Amino acid sequence: MTSIKEQTSGIATRMPIISSESLPIDQPDSASRTWLFSGIFWMSVTMLIGLVEAVKLFYPEFLQGVPALAYGRLRPVHTNIGMFGFMSMGYLGATFYMVPRLTQTPLFSERLGSLTAWAWNLNLLAGCMGILLGFSKGKEYTEIPFPFDMAIGLFVIAIAGNLFSTIAQRREQRIYVSLWYILLAIIPFPIYYTLGNASKFSGIEDAVINWFYSHNFFGIWLTALGLATLYYIVPKQVHKPLYSHVISFVGFWTLAAFYPWNGGHHVIWGPVPMWVMTASVTASIAMFIPTFATMVNFGGTAWGTWEIMKRDVGYRFSLLAYLCYVGASLWGTGLAVMSLNAKLHFTNMTIAHVHLGFVGFGVPGLIAFTYFYLERSLKLKYSRSMAEWHFWLTVIGILGYTVSMGISGWMEGTAWEAGGAPQGTMIDRYPYHVARAISGLVILLGQFLFVGNVIQTINYPVPLAETTEEHSANNLQTQNVTTI
Amino acid sequence: MRFIRVLPIVIAFSILFGAAFTGLVIAPGFTSTVARTPSVGLVAYSTTEARGRHIYVREGCVYCHSQQVRNVKADANLAESFGVSKAGDYYYDLPHLLGTSRQGPDLSNEGRVWRREIGQPARDYLIGHFMNPRDYNPNSIMPAFDYLSKQELSDLTDYIQSLGAWKDNVPQPEKT
Repeated sequence: MTSIKEQTSGIATRMPIISSESLPIDQPDSASRTWLFSGIFWMSVTMLIGLVEAVKLFYPEFLQGVPALAYGRLRPVHTNIGMFGFMSMGYLGATFYMVPRLTQTPLFSERLGSLTAWAWNLNLLAGCMGILLGFSKGKEYTEIPFPFDMAIGLFVIAIAGNLFSTIAQRREQRIYVSLWYILLAIIPFPIYYTLGNASKFSGIEDAVINWFYSHNFFGIWLTALGLATLYYIVPKQVHKPLYSHVISFVGFWTLAAFYPWNGGHHVIWGPVPMWVMTASVTASIAMFIPTFATMVNFGGTAWGTWEIMKRDVGYRFSLLAYLCYVGASLWGTGLAVMSLNAKLHFTNMTIAHVHLGFVGFGVPGLIAFTYFYLERSLKLKYSRSMAEWHFWLTVIGILGYTVSMGISGWMEGTAWEAGGAPQGTMIDRYPYHVARAISGLVILLGQFLFVGNVIQTINYPVPLAETTEEHSANNLQTQNVTTI
Repeated sequence: MRFIRVLPIVIAFSILFGAAFTGLVIAPGFTSTVARTPSVGLVAYSTTEARGRHIYVREGCVYCHSQQVRNVKADANLAESFGVSKAGDYYYDLPHLLGTSRQGPDLSNEGRVWRREIGQPARDYLIGHFMNPRDYNPNSIMPAFDYLSKQELSDLTDYIQSLGAWKDNVPQPEKT
């Protein structure tokens, strides 16, 4: 066991000495930066495409006549950039930042990390071009055509190798909860990813495997990396250890046990064996346990931090991500209840739920990490007023989006149960579709402020006034770590 | 020594993941209701229908149109008119096009609405509707597929007319 002081100074002394000849690509955190800023770039792109789609859903003539900009081609590009561009890249940026610090060991290869990020960017661009030009594979979340889909799998193996080698050589023996989630994210990925993208089953088997892959991608890749990030930054933002490591232990293992079973809840009431449905519904409802554990843990950590909430916008984004994570998870559990699913599956309610997960949890989580990174790592001062605007625009956008789509979904379900059909509710959905597009615009405006703020902070650096309290807490969350 | 703390975590969640993998990927293949047998009377796609299906995939029709009738109240009308979808109905579907959203109507029985027997009027309607849905329903939010070639529109029409059409040629005893 090393003392806090040693741990705090450790990272600096153990990092390789940067000589003037060393390439920028080999410097500490260069991989993290490349991934993170790529993620922010794709986040803006996917929001913009989402807005175009939202407009098309109430004004279908918008950009009509260009095949590559047809709704059916933009929609998979929107989802794939959201999953592989924004969420995967952004949170991998956070992961490449966290792993060297949690292990007290320099990253195995910064160069490999940066190169995989650039390769990932180009590959994703090529894959999305492929979809726009009409080469989609056609199943939801596996649309990226061959060979670009397989390349993603190979890149993840390179990333996992890089991270796992770092973890294997670690100097800090204790494993903080963020590392558990990172291990869960990087190890099973190649299995379900290859299965989802390369399998050649047909019909219902194809559907079940499609959802098995997709839900693992959301659950034990995106959510795991997102939670790892929140578990890392929140204790540092509030300058105190996590509320309970035992609860985080329970939350992790129940999540790892139940999430992989959730895939079947996309075909509840569908032509699949009853037991596939039963297992998936049970697991989806059991997801209440990890959600509740996360709720108690972050709630307990955040309790009484009102002062920090007021002054730290980044921390407020963490809390927003946390609240929306809990909301989206409970909502997902609710939608998996068979009677509710019968009414609301196929309606806009699903879309509201997904966006609460992505725009409510994914976006604020990454933003919180970015502000954290600017302040704590680069020690730069970002514009407080822009960040405040950004925060409130994001909050309004998320509320507007989920409320409008949620009401629309409930209305559709009610109409269908009364014997109506989707064509019949077209006029009734119109105002909600407009409200959704306006919410999307509000979110996008906030995003522009955010990107502008980040660019300005880095290009015109204003050093942060030194507050000893900020920096002395470098490894605080490793205190009272549960080791196993 | 170093691995002692990482390895148990990795092994434990690998077992948990493996259990789900067995349950949701391997086991359904051995279950009778998902057995690899087509429904009675199911017809494989013809060349033009398969080409049409490819256009359906390429243009992302699946994002707004499901192909799945469930035995629930919200689908009561569909189930009454056409019956509930069964696993065997999808035997020839690669990739599957079950869908997750209904911005527009379910299409699993569209070939029984715009039947081939109607002849040219049904084809004219479908092709005209692809070209500009708002000529037929001013409130429609479906994109206009006016950029498709004549051949592509014809193939897509063949595919749409094949959806569920085979069911009319076999006696359907149970309409759940």
